[in-house]
Amino acid sequence: MPRISNALIRHARSIDKLLPPLLRPCRELRAAQNELRWLREHAAKVASTRNAKVRDTLLRNLVLERAKGKPLQYLLGSEYFGDLQITCRPGVLIPRQETAASVAYLARLVRQAEELPPELRVLDLCTGTGCIPLLFHDELAATRKDVRSRYLGIDISRDAVHLAHYNLQKVWRQKAYADKSVTAFVQADVLIDPFDDQNAGMPCFKAALNHYRQPPFWDILISNPPYISPSGYWSTTTRSVRLFEPELALLPPPNPDASDTERGDVFYPRLLSIAQHVEAKVVLLEVADLDQAHRVARLAQDADFFDGIEVWRDWPDQPNDAEPVELDGFPVIGQGNGRYVLCWRAQGAPWLGKDVVAKAETEPLSHYSLQPTFIYRPPSKIPL
Amino acid sequence: MTVAPWICRSCLSRISRPLIRQRLRYQSTAACKVSTSESISPALLARARSIAREHKGLADKLANGFDARSAKKLGEHGGVVSTLKEWEKANESLRELTSLIHDPTTDPELLSLASEDLATTRTQLADASQSLTTSLVPVHPFAHLPCLIELRPGAGGSEAAIFAGDLLRMYQAFCNRNNFRATLLKYENADGTTEAGVPLSEAILEVESGGAYGLFRCEAGVHRVQRVPATETKGRTHTSAVSVLVLPSVQENSLGEEDFEDPESDYYIDPKEVRVDVMRARGAGGQHVNTTESAVRLTHMPTNTVVAIQDARSQPKNKEKAWRLLRSRLAQARREKREEEMAAIRRSVVGVAKMGRGDKVRTYNWGQQRVTDHRSGTTVHDLDDVMEGGQTLDKVMESVRSWLMERDVEAMIAEETDAKK
Repeated sequence: MPRISNALIRHARSIDKLLPPLLRPCRELRAAQNELRWLREHAAKVASTRNAKVRDTLLRNLVLERAKGKPLQYLLGSEYFGDLQITCRPGVLIPRQETAASVAYLARLVRQAEELPPELRVLDLCTGTGCIPLLFHDELAATRKDVRSRYLGIDISRDAVHLAHYNLQKVWRQKAYADKSVTAFVQADVLIDPFDDQNAGMPCFKAALNHYRQPPFWDILISNPPYISPSGYWSTTTRSVRLFEPELALLPPPNPDASDTERGDVFYPRLLSIAQHVEAKVVLLEVADLDQAHRVARLAQDADFFDGIEVWRDWPDQPNDAEPVELDGFPVIGQGNGRYVLCWRAQGAPWLGKDVVAKAETEPLSHYSLQPTFIYRPPSKIPL
Repeated sequence: MTVAPWICRSCLSRISRPLIRQRLRYQSTAACKVSTSESISPALLARARSIAREHKGLADKLANGFDARSAKKLGEHGGVVSTLKEWEKANESLRELTSLIHDPTTDPELLSLASEDLATTRTQLADASQSLTTSLVPVHPFAHLPCLIELRPGAGGSEAAIFAGDLLRMYQAFCNRNNFRATLLKYENADGTTEAGVPLSEAILEVESGGAYGLFRCEAGVHRVQRVPATETKGRTHTSAVSVLVLPSVQENSLGEEDFEDPESDYYIDPKEVRVDVMRARGAGGQHVNTTESAVRLTHMPTNTVVAIQDARSQPKNKEKAWRLLRSRLAQARREKREEEMAAIRRSVVGVAKMGRGDKVRTYNWGQQRVTDHRSGTTVHDLDDVMEGGQTLDKVMESVRSWLMERDVEAMIAEETDAKK
């Protein structure tokens, strides 16, 4: 990282003496000025009844903490996620703008669909602050009064589940929704296979669904799992992320056998198998970059469960202005880094405004067994 | 040796001239020159074809997704496309008929049928080219608006003021007869009072019906009167002038901020013409960085207007604010442009020097009981009916409108040939 020039520091000091420390995390004068303004507003709000001296001390302390790299979102206690103000606390990952862009884009696609199930169920794995279900509901409820929706967020961290509940109450109080949607957050470990021995302390995802009496089938699965590989953690993340945000939310758990990239991808096979379990019609998974998007898309294709796969960049609502427009047969849309992999099945295609593509596969007769097979296909809607 | 007899010079010069001199008003010949024939100018035809092509493209585009602007355009072009089709059909059948007639092997019975048909097809073609020309003429941008008619006496003193009052009554009667809502916005007498019947110094009549500007546009100019004024004691005919100003009246409330979905509104922006830039995180983005950048920059590409907002921490809020700012900036620019256009209209209609009797557009002659419009060259003799705003006035106005349309077509053709060069 290039050094900040002395001239810039002098210039910043001439504007405000609190600006030079903020230049360290912000790198740019304009960004530093914005942050100082927000910190000052925050200090004025927190210490509104106190005298000016207390307020100045508070502001100085905030600026010094920020200079050490503590994320502004933790200092101010909130981050804007789409239209929502989501509370942030140390120990839980701060919601990212790119996530908001993609989730809002998906929700806007879905809310334009002509026919939606009477109860639309959205499952969010590794939910963190709970921002994804809350934003999805906010976008859906804005135009679709006819659709009841149910949301479930799952996270392994107790703090995250608590914070998600807090955010749920806060957002519902602020927005005063009138619809009959249900949102819940439960603690569970997504990575534990329900068919393994259950000897860990944390319940597996399936057990949690049963225990909290949640329906077994879900229409849309969204996940922003830990996806950074160990080498990427030390090379591509910023200092503020490494020092202050929870490693649990960024790095998949250690596994001595796996290579570096394999460790970054640990979550995706599990997420895709859960998608099959819950019969998800639309699956949206966040990834680190186009390479990982490519690997995940390939994985989804190999699962032979989806009828369409697409890669979204950071801002999927913008027209794609960079190469590649197609990644190994998967269309790439939007602007920015590769960020999301979207998979859908035939039932979910009309919700996304996609054409249903009939699978043109003719399996050779030798693949069919002459033995009668009993496949139990549960109806997609179970009365609760 | 034969000696040529002496011939007077004027008789000699008489030989070179035709015996019967055609009596033509040269200023007024334009009316019968254009577009009565079945031929149509190639430039106009090329324009019609290009419009038809564009129309097809737009229709394909609209089949895929709705776009308010292209839908509007499609509607505007629909008339041209259908009349072009009609014209081409008539042209085709005419060609077939002529080839049939000129073919020596044609059966005589068929020949007589074909020559019968030829006349009707000719008229069809003439009609089609007439309507094609009409549909191609650009509609004046303000033609759909209500209008203001301002009357001011010009040269001629109190007689001009009296005639201005007569004209005002004429327009009021005309509006009454055609069921247009007309209100007198301003009425001022020569002696500064608002008492009616006295010579007027200024009157503004507002015609509130939509499309009034397109209808009354032809009235703008200097109207000349030739009569023995009521104030004249010795029975001499005077010539005076009244200037008539016609301006489109733009209602501010119809262009309010709330209807920015309406393409007519000043506040309307086609989202496709705006490039949205959000500040992207440096590097990998996503979980790798926790940026606080929330700046949004909007660029309106046709006008190159840039708006950047970074006040709020929430990107959607910044975006909303940026859109609002961009809307109001563009609306401001559009309003200024429109005001400029209005000022140009005002200047072009009434230059201060152009108020005299010479630059008249129409003459009302009491002695001959006639009204002549000098632009279209129409003369009618029912002066009383004209002054009562009757159907004769309709006839005169109609002729001027078609004259204006022909001017527009000529200008358009000239423009197009210029563009080709």
